[in-house]
Amino acid sequence: MRPALLALTLALVSSPAWAGVSPEVAEAQRAQMEKLRAEVAGQIQLQAYDLLDELVYGWTRQPVFELETPVVLADVTVPVGFGSGLAALIENHFAELVVKNPRTRVTLAHCPQCTAVVVHSGAKGTIVSRGVDQPEALAAAGALSGARHAIFLDFEAEGSALVLRARITSLEPALPIIHARTLTTSTSSAALLRSGDQLKSAAEARKEYLDALQGRGVFTVPLRFAVRSYASPPSAGPIAAMPFIWLQAGAEVALTQARAWTGTFSLGVTWMPQLHTGFMGQARISRLLTGSVASLTQPDLYLFLGGSVISIHGQGARVFRSEVLNLEDVLSDIPSLLIEPHATFAAFPIGLELRVGNRIAASVFLESAPALDTAPSIGTHLNLLGILKFHTVGAEVTFCF
Amino acid sequence: METLLVLLLVQLSVSSGRPYDPAPGIWHGKSEARNLDCSRMSQQRAHELHPGEIPAPPARLANQESDALVCTRRIMSQGERPERDEVILSSLRESVGELAEVASALGQGGLTWHVDAFYPQPEVAAKISVAARTELAEQGRRVSDKVPVLAAGDIVVLGRMAPKDAYPLACKRYFAQRALGENDAFLGIMLIDERETQLHAGLCLKGEWRWLR
Repeated sequence: MRPALLALTLALVSSPAWAGVSPEVAEAQRAQMEKLRAEVAGQIQLQAYDLLDELVYGWTRQPVFELETPVVLADVTVPVGFGSGLAALIENHFAELVVKNPRTRVTLAHCPQCTAVVVHSGAKGTIVSRGVDQPEALAAAGALSGARHAIFLDFEAEGSALVLRARITSLEPALPIIHARTLTTSTSSAALLRSGDQLKSAAEARKEYLDALQGRGVFTVPLRFAVRSYASPPSAGPIAAMPFIWLQAGAEVALTQARAWTGTFSLGVTWMPQLHTGFMGQARISRLLTGSVASLTQPDLYLFLGGSVISIHGQGARVFRSEVLNLEDVLSDIPSLLIEPHATFAAFPIGLELRVGNRIAASVFLESAPALDTAPSIGTHLNLLGILKFHTVGAEVTFCF
Repeated sequence: METLLVLLLVQLSVSSGRPYDPAPGIWHGKSEARNLDCSRMSQQRAHELHPGEIPAPPARLANQESDALVCTRRIMSQGERPERDEVILSSLRESVGELAEVASALGQGGLTWHVDAFYPQPEVAAKISVAARTELAEQGRRVSDKVPVLAAGDIVVLGRMAPKDAYPLACKRYFAQRALGENDAFLGIMLIDERETQLHAGLCLKGEWRWLR
């Protein structure tokens, strides 16, 4: 979709018919193109930062210079096809890293003439080039601010890898390269979001990542607040079921390290003054749908299936029974009214759960209770080909400890 | 409605237990699959590279080699850059690395290396030359950022010649004009035909041009 949109947008940009497009449309199309570019730039920005972190970390361990040395950041080039916005972000991040890590022994020097076009006339003729390509001209003009070295950072997108080529050139007439390093995301670690003032090696960052994966714990304790709403029958009966509010707590076990499968057993209780008291035991199994591993940073979506045994005591349980009392029943058998009614039935929920950081979750579900097929006060929310009837819809909020 | 829901549930139950399949299917099309960079490796290696996503091979199957297909989305999708540039840039490390290795083996001794690339798009040419300079410098060669230049008259004449004749002559002119000295080596990387996607290279040593590829 994205390439098609970009191609369409680029085609529109280069089209001779562009002049015929109204200014508002043209402006909108330009904005769309910039948005697409920004989207791709945002995807590689973190990878670029990670490579810079790796580069500067290497300099803190093995400094290029023996003494603190002023250096000009001569050029930052981004992958072909990207604009200067990404270059500015990279430049700022690099400057931040160098300032926060004095052990690199690199001090950034200000030299606007180094990147500007310089015209130098001498005995051999007139040469027009960037300042850093004519260090003798810059030195004669006193524009180097004491710096005798220039850093060049070049990023390129090569397939699925982002490659950083960094080099430091001595600003003398021969322009010798005194240091060069190539770093790539395909051989380095993934984007690690290391903090700039506390750089780590890729190996250390990887160990922290593994510790985070393994340290998530096998067991968690979920505390759920659930609402179950029972369907009304097609023909309104004498009694209608009200929504039941449940509090559930239990234990959840991750069946794999990646938390792709989890199993939960919980006990629940519901209570409504004068109406009912209920208890529930529930087991459910959940499968991760968004990827093969639960994310440390992004929400995860699970599909769950379960089985419950629900027992309701009190007047509220009458809606789940197969017989409905009418006035004649009441008058003929008054003593039976003094006995507290109760209903016990099995239910099978299926639903989706969105979980964030394995700490908080929200879910919606449908529940089928075959025993309620004969209850005249309960209808069905969804009837699948007459085979599977869902009598309940519900929603839950879960807090994990 | 009910039938659709049943189909959805069946699909979820079938697909949820299987690993992500990069082949074109219901959930992603051919164009999306073409934008994946896939490589096959052992499950052990894949587990080391992607812990948490690919499980370690079971100990009881230690003697059986199992593979994993690791797919990563290309940073630049197909069609976002001109096709020729995309092919050249996608394999820049490999192609330039090979050329630099061959050149480095031929130019032994205390030489100072100069590199330039000749490619229709200046920004891609800059990427090629930077990659080659960095590669040579990482191999421990003495590399200069300075590019030897010829006089305007030489460039006009060379521009009218076929590449197979122009580059050897340019090498001679570099040496004659002392843009390159006895201890200088010049590695030129170029595209000879604008329709091709393979980079060629030549080495200029003491006025003698030698094609590397």
